[in-house]
Amino acid sequence: MNAMTAAVRAELTKIITLPGVWIVTGVILALDVLVQLQPAELFADAVAKITPDGNIEVFVGQPQPASEAILGLLAGGTLQMGLFLPVLAAVIAGQEFRSRQLGLTVLAMPRTVRMVTSKLLATALCVLVVAVLIAAVNTAFMYGAVRNWNPGLLVSGEAFAGHGRFISFAVLYCLATCAVTTVARSTLTGVIVTLAPAAVTMSQVLARTVPDLDALLPLSAARNLMLDPGVNDLTAGRVHGLLVLVGWAAVTAVAAAVTLSRRDAR
Amino acid sequence: MIEVSALTKHYRGKKAVDEVTFTARPGRVTGFLGPNGAGKSSTLRILLGLDAATSGRALINGKRYRDLTDPLRSVGALLDGAGPVPERRAVDHLSWMARSNRIPRQRVREVLELVGLADAAKQRVKTYSLGMRQRLGIAAALLGEPEILVLDEPVNGLDPDGIRWVRTFLGDYAAGGRTVLLSSHLMTETADTAHDVVIINHGRVVTQGSLAEVTAGHASLEAAFFALAGARW
Repeated sequence: MNAMTAAVRAELTKIITLPGVWIVTGVILALDVLVQLQPAELFADAVAKITPDGNIEVFVGQPQPASEAILGLLAGGTLQMGLFLPVLAAVIAGQEFRSRQLGLTVLAMPRTVRMVTSKLLATALCVLVVAVLIAAVNTAFMYGAVRNWNPGLLVSGEAFAGHGRFISFAVLYCLATCAVTTVARSTLTGVIVTLAPAAVTMSQVLARTVPDLDALLPLSAARNLMLDPGVNDLTAGRVHGLLVLVGWAAVTAVAAAVTLSRRDAR
Repeated sequence: MIEVSALTKHYRGKKAVDEVTFTARPGRVTGFLGPNGAGKSSTLRILLGLDAATSGRALINGKRYRDLTDPLRSVGALLDGAGPVPERRAVDHLSWMARSNRIPRQRVREVLELVGLADAAKQRVKTYSLGMRQRLGIAAALLGEPEILVLDEPVNGLDPDGIRWVRTFLGDYAAGGRTVLLSSHLMTETADTAHDVVIINHGRVVTQGSLAEVTAGHASLEAAFFALAGARW
């Protein structure tokens, strides 16, 4: 086993032995079930009324092609839950600054690049698992709605591509949160700094006034990556969205490494 | 061997460590003494790569700490103020440390037994007393069976049995040809444990040498300490 593998295993051990990680994961998944439960009946009714030419009317007066609409609802639901995942990433990264554990981590892994890389890889693996669980929960609920119409839609290539886009967003967004928390040395600050641009996106102020700038915000990039441009007002294309998320993760990771190498480990 | 040479550290323009030079040799327990704020912990933190020196160098077997491969196998350290997350179980805390340096898992159980925490291994650290936390810190320092031990106030919070155990253990450890650097404010304890002494005050080394050399002409190490450091206790 090489030193990097050992470092990642150590970081994974830290993650799975931290009660806060299990609590936050449990809350996010429970919230997901709750959120999916509420419109389940509405979706089932809408699917039951799909017209012979394949249109569905999820929202009154807005008929859409059923397959695209169903996959769009699936993507929207997972995107919504993805907004809670930064809390998990911040709890993982923030543990270092409780009881000054960072000092022990530096003792065990004194090389900054290896330490930061192992932290980010372990966080990515953890978030990936939770993101897959969210996608599975949402798919299960959607299966309840479409099972008598076209259950194969949920295991189609387009459905899996949608899940892949969600998982990419979840992992990249959480890596940025992990890095920001490390720079800020505070779980709460990490959550606030990561979610503040999301609030700007949700206000739609930038999307209406300066769409090019809006497209650089992480949640806007996630919308551009995941949602159907035919149905939603988006500010850029999918590739642009993915590159923006990669950029956020890369820039914040470098900032975290520079901060850790230049500041005393306190 | 630990070699500290002309080590200086400034914090916001103030000198916390000022041209500190000393050596801790194998087979010896070196006591690092000084009043609070003298620069002991800062020196140890620089030695262990946690803080950056303003100038000077601190080497372990001729290398900077950060350049050691699997450093926990070479150096075991107990630092004041750096501890495990309270919600984590002791065994899990030691497990991640062991994994990070490719130390066999069975060693976790061994060090827990060595420090008398085997029965409390699955308890969360937040339920531990101060003494138990200190024992856990010593267990972490011993994980990699290191050749060098750097301990900052290791007997803080320990009961008399624990203090005696640490004293005996460190003596035996050094007798095996290993290096022990021990920072403490307990003069009697240090006099009972250390072979060599380095006294630091206001960031500067006041005197150093073997215990006999430093205490020569004084009734005790404590008397020598007050006379040499001019410190108020």
